[in-house]
Amino acid sequence: MKSDEDKRQSGTRVTRGELFSIFLKAGLAFGGGLGILAVLEDELVSKRRAVTKEEFLTIYGIGRIVPSGTMTALAVAYGYKFGGLSGTVIALTALSLPVFVLTIALTIAYHYLRNSRLFDLLPVTIMPAALALIVVAALKLGKDVFRPSRELVIACVAFALAFFLRLNPALILLAGGVLGAFVLQKIEAGNATEKKDASK
Amino acid sequence: MSLWRLTLLIALFNVMTFGNGPVMIPLLQTHLVEGARVLTADQLLYAFTIARVTPGQANFYVASIGYMLYGMPGAIVATLAIVLPGYVMIPLLRGFEHLRDSRWINGLTKGLTVTSVGLILAAVVQIARGALTQPIAWVVLIATLVMTQLLKWNILVTLAVATCLGLLLKWSL
Repeated sequence: MKSDEDKRQSGTRVTRGELFSIFLKAGLAFGGGLGILAVLEDELVSKRRAVTKEEFLTIYGIGRIVPSGTMTALAVAYGYKFGGLSGTVIALTALSLPVFVLTIALTIAYHYLRNSRLFDLLPVTIMPAALALIVVAALKLGKDVFRPSRELVIACVAFALAFFLRLNPALILLAGGVLGAFVLQKIEAGNATEKKDASK
Repeated sequence: MSLWRLTLLIALFNVMTFGNGPVMIPLLQTHLVEGARVLTADQLLYAFTIARVTPGQANFYVASIGYMLYGMPGAIVATLAIVLPGYVMIPLLRGFEHLRDSRWINGLTKGLTVTSVGLILAAVVQIARGALTQPIAWVVLIATLVMTQLLKWNILVTLAVATCLGLLLKWSL
């Protein structure tokens, strides 16, 4: 495919080797998406000036609506921009290598743990801590949810449907998405994004 | 559950949640833990913990689930299932920029996010009823919440302290 046409504003080219090392570095960043994003911004925008600030933000914005992790989408985008289809493979591999290797290593550790007496200690250590981390993840997602708003109502209904009626969460999620498309559209007019009806 | 079916489920859930790791928890809990019973709640929680302590993308814990069920082939296939949809990025880059500003897409992702908050909390209560049978577990859970939410401690420190707390309580009571 015509991979080289996309370098509209970008001054510097990024070689395949650099592509690999940049995304490997990003893949080693802690802090989830934002940690990775910070590394990419630093390497591609600040240091190399291979991508302009606007372009970076635009690509991030598009990446957010791609049905994979946003960072996975960014690896595809920059891999493609600088190296065509093979570039995407290089960027994806580099980004995913650290997390994949660590994940498998820790899973193998679980198998050993399972056959040892330490396994009986998991229910009072890692397991409750993990549940707490899931709660934290939910709290982070829902900044708008925990005050009187349409969002709160939808979240509560979703909870009730899943917990009391035992409906399939996948179906609830789809319904919530479709409902959101109708009632949670952001009104793009200046600061009037949140109308005052939220508190009533 | 065959590897093929597992892959399909993971691919589907990943696309539905836009690759959000935590949001996949209720879906995996319902289908793999309660439905097909191929995974225990412990295994799901352990896999999620891995995602929290590793660098990189937050939805890669499905590789752990793939490994638990089918070994290395399971891990690789599960990973491909969540990575390949990223290629949607290429056609989007080539002329669908306006989608980003679409109010419908905006509302859709907002709706998914908000709904998933309710679903995640429902899954947590569900799992907690089965997994937190000892009072010590509740102490550790609350301590972890305090350390992350109020004290804003680093995740690795939090997990280490939570583990020590659980062990201390277990051995001293």
